[in-house]
Amino acid sequence: MGELITFYGKVSGLGDYSLTSPAIRGNVGYIRIPKGVKLKIWAKRIAGPATTVAIMFTRDVTASSVTWETIGTEHLASAGEITLEKRRPIVVVGYTGKEAIKFSRVGPSGATDESYVEFDIEFVWDDE
Amino acid sequence: MTLPFARENEFLVVYLPPISRALVFRIVGVYNNGYQKIEYGPIPISAGTTLPTYEGGATTVPEDGVMPARSYTRDAVRFPMEGAYDESDMWRFPEDWNERLFHILQVVKPGFLRIEAQIPPGAIQPKFQRDKVLGGVEKDFGFTRGKFEIVQLPGVSVGYRYGNDTNLDVYTYVRFYYAEYMVEIVKDAEMVYNILMKRVPSRWYTYPVTYLHPRIIESLKKAYGFEGFPLLYRREEAVKRYEELIQLVRR
Repeated sequence: MGELITFYGKVSGLGDYSLTSPAIRGNVGYIRIPKGVKLKIWAKRIAGPATTVAIMFTRDVTASSVTWETIGTEHLASAGEITLEKRRPIVVVGYTGKEAIKFSRVGPSGATDESYVEFDIEFVWDDE
Repeated sequence: MTLPFARENEFLVVYLPPISRALVFRIVGVYNNGYQKIEYGPIPISAGTTLPTYEGGATTVPEDGVMPARSYTRDAVRFPMEGAYDESDMWRFPEDWNERLFHILQVVKPGFLRIEAQIPPGAIQPKFQRDKVLGGVEKDFGFTRGKFEIVQLPGVSVGYRYGNDTNLDVYTYVRFYYAEYMVEIVKDAEMVYNILMKRVPSRWYTYPVTYLHPRIIESLKKAYGFEGFPLLYRREEAVKRYEELIQLVRR
């Protein structure tokens, strides 16, 4: 069973994309993964100026000091847009319910302009 | 999507685990053929309602039908419908409509929402190791995600609890697939035995309860005259017992 939700993100300069979707109210800086659920990141779109986007994961988003590790990066080499899809998805699993992912603009250094992303993320459960 | 509903002239068994009894129906007809879907809309939770959170605090529903991040419903939700027999619970119907039965598949969006049924509302049904540990949407067990199948019995009210263990405030949506059966209790003891021994094909639905509230037993007796056929494997003993029970069946 799964539920596919497209998240739209925006950031000015470097930092975490603020994510929203027609399926959710408001914005979030990260997506927490429910216990026993997998997130599959199927498609990625990056638009705007040249950008490096890091896909980041933490095992405990509730920790007082959250440790994020980069599990993937995508590059938009020059201004425009790029769509990356029909690839094997990035899969992250909720073992404790405290795991989370976020998307950060990490380059180019010194960027101050606005960057946009879209991610098609499937929440998957009961897939044994 | 494959729907779990029975068709005309099939048998439907509703098995009640706490009393090891089964109601054995023949589907005489399906009243809503061709129209098996109700686009209900958001889960009926109102803006301003206070909900408990998985962190042990409380949060407020920001907008009608929105399930706040990390929250769950403390009280069971029922689905109002204007003009229904019970306008506060569209699925409840009286015991004297004993020739009707609703078979419902509730589909909730987003599908990762947790669902638990309370039958009747307020009665916690998921349990582990007898009554040692209670389950539910706020626990690690005792819920499904995205879908819930139920057979709605006459006079019985079912309430649903929902949980959102993501950090997203989500807009919710409920779609019901249902069959409004016209049914009769099977009144041939030999046939009842063969159905319960699975020698005759039937749809077997196990009622998702660990505890049968006295109100449910009362409703079953009012509706059908008895609370079901016990599962007996010795043929002669079973047929004799079923013949006695069939005498009690309300026509």
